[in-house]
Amino acid sequence: MRAIISALAIAIVASLATGCGRTAVRASEKAFLADQVMMFGADPHEAASDDHIKSEREGAAGGNGAKGGGCGCN
Amino acid sequence: MQLVRTGLIALVVGVALGAATPARADDTAEASTSVFAEKRDGGKGGLTVIHPQLDLGVDLGRYVTLAAGYSADAVSGATATTYSVDAVSTATKFSDFRQEGDVGLGFQGRQSKLSFNTSYSTERDYLSRSIGGAASVDLAGRNTTMALAYSHSWDQACDKDNGMATPLDSRALLGSDPCMKSGISGKDDPGITIWKPLSIDTAQVTLTQNLSPTLNMQIAAYGQVLDGFQSNPYRSVDVGGVNAQEYIPNVRARWSVTARVNRYLPKLHGAVHFGARFYDDTWHVIGGDVELAYSQYIGDSLLLRIHARVYQQTAAAFFKDAFYYLTQSTAGAYYTGDRELSPVRNAMVGAKLTLISLGGDKKVWHLFDKLQLNLKGDVLFLDNLAADDTTMNTAGIGQQFIYGNSIVDAVVIQLGVLGNY
Repeated sequence: MRAIISALAIAIVASLATGCGRTAVRASEKAFLADQVMMFGADPHEAASDDHIKSEREGAAGGNGAKGGGCGCN
Repeated sequence: MQLVRTGLIALVVGVALGAATPARADDTAEASTSVFAEKRDGGKGGLTVIHPQLDLGVDLGRYVTLAAGYSADAVSGATATTYSVDAVSTATKFSDFRQEGDVGLGFQGRQSKLSFNTSYSTERDYLSRSIGGAASVDLAGRNTTMALAYSHSWDQACDKDNGMATPLDSRALLGSDPCMKSGISGKDDPGITIWKPLSIDTAQVTLTQNLSPTLNMQIAAYGQVLDGFQSNPYRSVDVGGVNAQEYIPNVRARWSVTARVNRYLPKLHGAVHFGARFYDDTWHVIGGDVELAYSQYIGDSLLLRIHARVYQQTAAAFFKDAFYYLTQSTAGAYYTGDRELSPVRNAMVGAKLTLISLGGDKKVWHLFDKLQLNLKGDVLFLDNLAADDTTMNTAGIGQQFIYGNSIVDAVVIQLGVLGNY
């Protein structure tokens, strides 16, 4: 478990170090990121239905992330 | 029923955490219905859940969004009343109907959003009231989004009034027992049924990051504390020949970490999606899943996604195969027949087809700027594992749960329409 947590922490720090900032992806380069296939949880009903089913069949429910992503425009 | 209840917790939390999503940029309407059908043994038919959802969002001026939603669960099928080496023989038919409504208010700034949400749901034997709040902010460059969400729910579960009886002397609730309500709360019927509280606090922090013009990722950390009655009041466990009501701890703390990645493939006009999740809790259920999907545009208006997922979990510390509850002492211990607390692995494969209509100069159906029709189908597989030594278990584990032992365990069909107007 400690190894998993460490790996995730490294991934977070690495992503912030390499991607976070004004020059990571320019606004003019976000056409693909703005596509709906690049958005996490783009269909709330699908996500809700999936979570509903998982919670009926699995003890490890919850924590599937939030809707967002794509162009990075909040 | 328990089936609806666990889903209800997920839905309430989902609604509240969904408030972490960015407020709508325009008015939206989404309606969908999913049908879940699971194979079951016991000669009482399968299990069917019909789950309609309706959500509306309207902008109130430039900075404020109002959202409202409704969902329901119509559940019918077979359930086992007693967890035993032959639970199939105790299978009985049941039906239940749950309804939920929620409203939310969102505030949108240039680079941040704030939202609040409240929901209420009711069914025969379970009530839930929830409030939640969420905030998100785009960091410099708009390549990083941080989101925080929190929700609290006050739930009540109807239970048999067992008075001061010890756990082994407590008996399960019956479908014929009355579960009375007064307004949005449960009302005790002393000597017959009482309502027991369950408090649920849930928090989630999410980081979404653009890594390149074709690559983004999301990492989410999730925590939840449940404090109160969490048993299925209808379920008994055969403990040394005594049908005692299921008895599990009142407090459960759980957490998970999820990582997801999307990679756009410009030459193929498609995208690859990968996700992984690790889960742990104080009942010692440890689980994880891995999901892989691929999206492909077909022409200008069709989008096909295929996906697959595998999942596995360990058993809760107090879970035993039914044979061992029957044959070993459980003095001072908890006992459960909840399959969600058993060791299990499952898999899912499916596909989703989306028809996208963009209005352009003329609106779609004279109303929508964008309209999407979704059709999704999933096939689910299940493999129950033994929690304890199988060499000593002369009864085996094949009959301790009533769901089928066939390769395909369940199917899900979802049909939906999403419109922006």
